[in-house]
Parts: sequence; C-alpha cells; structure tokens
Amino acid sequence: MTDHLTLATLSALADGELSAEQLAAAQQHLSGCNACTSSALYQSLMKSATARAGQRYSVSPQLAGRLARYTSDASGSSGLPQSAGQSILSTRMPRTALYGWTAAAAVLIVFLGSMVIMRHQQQTAIVAAQQATLTAEITDRHITTLASSQPLDVLSSDRHTVKPWFQGKLPFSFNLPENLPPDVHLDGANLTYLRNQPAAQLLYSIGKHRVSVFLEQKSNASSPANSSATLSGFHLIETETDDLQLEAISDVDPARLSELVGLIQHVQANTPVQVR
Amino acid sequence: MKLLSWKRALPPKVTRAVTFEDLALPLGSSLYNIAHWLTRNPAEAEDLVQETYLKALRGFTAFEPGTNFKAWIFRILRNTYLTSRSGLAAMRTVALEDELSDENGVQRYPEGAIDRQTPENNLIVLCDRAALENAMQQLPAPLLEVVLLCDVEEMKYKEIAAVIDVPIGTVMSRIARARAAMRRTLESHTSYPNQSRMSPESRA
Repeated sequence: MTDHLTLATLSALADGELSAEQLAAAQQHLSGCNACTSSALYQSLMKSATARAGQRYSVSPQLAGRLARYTSDASGSSGLPQSAGQSILSTRMPRTALYGWTAAAAVLIVFLGSMVIMRHQQQTAIVAAQQATLTAEITDRHITTLASSQPLDVLSSDRHTVKPWFQGKLPFSFNLPENLPPDVHLDGANLTYLRNQPAAQLLYSIGKHRVSVFLEQKSNASSPANSSATLSGFHLIETETDDLQLEAISDVDPARLSELVGLIQHVQANTPVQVR
Repeated sequence: MKLLSWKRALPPKVTRAVTFEDLALPLGSSLYNIAHWLTRNPAEAEDLVQETYLKALRGFTAFEPGTNFKAWIFRILRNTYLTSRSGLAAMRTVALEDELSDENGVQRYPEGAIDRQTPENNLIVLCDRAALENAMQQLPAPLLEVVLLCDVEEMKYKEIAAVIDVPIGTVMSRIARARAAMRRTLESHTSYPNQSRMSPESRA
C-alpha cells in the first residue's frame, strides 16, 4: 500500500467535501490501510475539537447592544443603509480613530487655551503699559503746571467763567461743583492734551496743596474706572462718569482728593456730552 | 371543474422583506469570534466587527437577496481585517505556499508521522482545549482563517473560497496545511513529557 490518501483528501473527507466517486475511492483505501484510517480518525477528531475550541470569544453585551441598535436603525430606515451607516459613525467611531481624534482635540484645546492665555496676558500687559504711560503723563502735566511761571489759560475762581472758556476748545462740556468745602478753591484751568486727545485741566487748591483734575472724553482706551495709584509722592485717582474720564492728582491727603473728585463726578450726572 | 370559492381562496401569504437586521444580527457573535481570533485583541475585534457592519450596511443595497449573506458579510469582515494595521502586518509576514506540491500536485502526508501517537494519545491531546487553542494561535492568519471558517463556522469549501477569494483547491490546501501544522504543534506539546521520561536524569 503505497498510495496513501493525501492530506487534502483526508481533510476533505473529514469535512464531507469529497464527491461520491472520491468518497468511494477513499473508503476503499481506508478499508485496507490502518495508517490512513488512523489519520482520518485524527482529522475528524481534530475537526470537532477545533470547532469547540474555536468558539472562544463571545461578544460583549455592550457591542451586542450597539450592533442591535445599528441594525434596527438600518431596518427602520426602510432601505436607507447609508443613513444608518452615518448613524453608526456618529454614535461610535472605531477606537483607533477615536484615539487619534481625541489626541488632536486635546492638542487643539491646549493650543487654543495657550492662545487665549497669551492674548489675555498681552492685553493685560498693554493695559498696564498704557496705564503707566498715562500716570507718568498726568504727573508730568501736573508738575509742569506747578513749576510753570506762565499763568493758567483761564485764571478764575468762578466756575461760570472757567466752564464757558472751554466752549469751542473741547468736543465736550462738563459741570463744575458750586459748593466746595471751605478750604477748597478753584484756581483756573488749562487746555491740555492726554493720549493725544484734548482735555480740560482744572486747577484746585486744597489748603496749600494744588490739585489737577483732568477731564477728557471717555474712549475705548480709557483706563480702568475707579483706580488709584501713588507716584513720586503724588496720589492719582481715576474715575469716570457716563461720558467723561476723570483723573485727579495731588500731594494732598488721598481722602481730601477723593472728596473733591466725588464732588466733580457728582455734578457731571446731568451733563450730556456735547460734540461740537 | 370549478373549485369552490373557499377552496380557491388561499390564505394570503404573509411575506415580509428580509431586512439587514434579520440577516446580520444573528451573525454578530460569529463575526466577533473570528475577528478576535484574527486580531488577537478585543478592542480591535470590536472595531473590526463594527466597521464590518458599517460597510455591510452601506453596501446592503448591492446585496442580492437569496444569495449567501453569511459568506458576503464574512468576506467584508476579512477584507476589512486585511486593510487594518494588524491585518496588514499578519499577511505581510507570512509567505504562503498554497501548493502542497510534489510531482502529482499535492503533498503526501508523511507516513511515519501518522502513527507517532496512539489513538488514545491523540484523543487525550485533542481534549486539551488549552493546547488546541495554543495550536490555533500558532497558525498564521491565512491558515487560521480557513480553519475557523471551516470548523467553527461550518462553511463549505465553496463558501470559504468565496469569502477569501481564492480557488477551492487553495482552500483545501490551506485547511490541510493548517491541520498538519496544528498537529505538529500538539505533538511537540505532548512529546515533552515522553522525552523527559526518557532522559538520563529521569532514569537516574
């Protein structure tokens, strides 16, 4: 017995894939060949054992639920598998793709967050620089006025003289308080410029201390409302009304300075901006 | 002859169009089992099955009713696996020799190998599920898939040929080679105790 059954034949025999003629020939051979009979038996045993061992993994309830949902969606969509497919995509992407998108989203969030923080820091730095510049500018104006031997542009303690003097010189109008504390006097005013904009510099005296109050039109670049600072021994108060920006500087007690600023701020309430 | 009306009036046959759900849902477990065997990773297997369903849904309009849906969707699963990262790696690293060739076109089973184990030993080995699973895991993907489709999914060679898109002869060849490889693995698994028993140390 030299012509043993081939591996393929033995496998096909176990799988029931032989034709009638092939099966008859194989059975005839097996009847006289113990080796091939043993091998055929082994193939059959292996097939059934492999069938059992191959049923190794069972689908998770989560996946089963998803698949059931997808298929029911597809069937419910009355022959529109494309839309159902899109619903699958929208419900859950393959995990590897999800990882990629998650990483990309994380990078994007970090990038945008960094941009926001950087922008915020830049804006904060710009505002701080503008504030420092304005403070220095106001201080310089005040000191220059005090040191100047030139008289003020309008030298009067009468508010009805000072205010009208600015007509046609400023794109806005303002009020001056009538009732001042006993030791507070209006000395006069100058036409000046702050941040390249025309402004009124009102000169007051509180006792022996001189006070400069700057009134300018409020703009987007105005300083934060209601702030105070100290520079070179001068106290600086900044505040605003609905339409005006107000800065006051003096070496007087900050409480007295605040009192005067409050009076000036209070009388502006009924004075709308008058643009010439 | 004129039939009476009650005899002629057959009950209306309730026919309902077979939906994708009817066909695909029962195959979810089988698809996942094969996918897990091939990918060797539960997460990848889930992705693979899900993507298979997605592709099958999209292409369901092209599926011809009455043809073999199981073979169709398993073919989608296999093609999807082949284009996956693990599938590309598995198929790239295996050099297939589908021709078990000799002068007659097929390779004869080595006669000496047939009786190396007694039938009792063979039965014992085949009952060792862990050893059998290990032997299956040792198979390269092209051989493992045919074994799974043939033995686990009980597909006919013709169906397997349609799934993996090869001639039926190649399917026969691969199944034979896969079983021979599994047998060699199982025999090497069981030969170790015998060799130990025969070693000088054990005899001493």
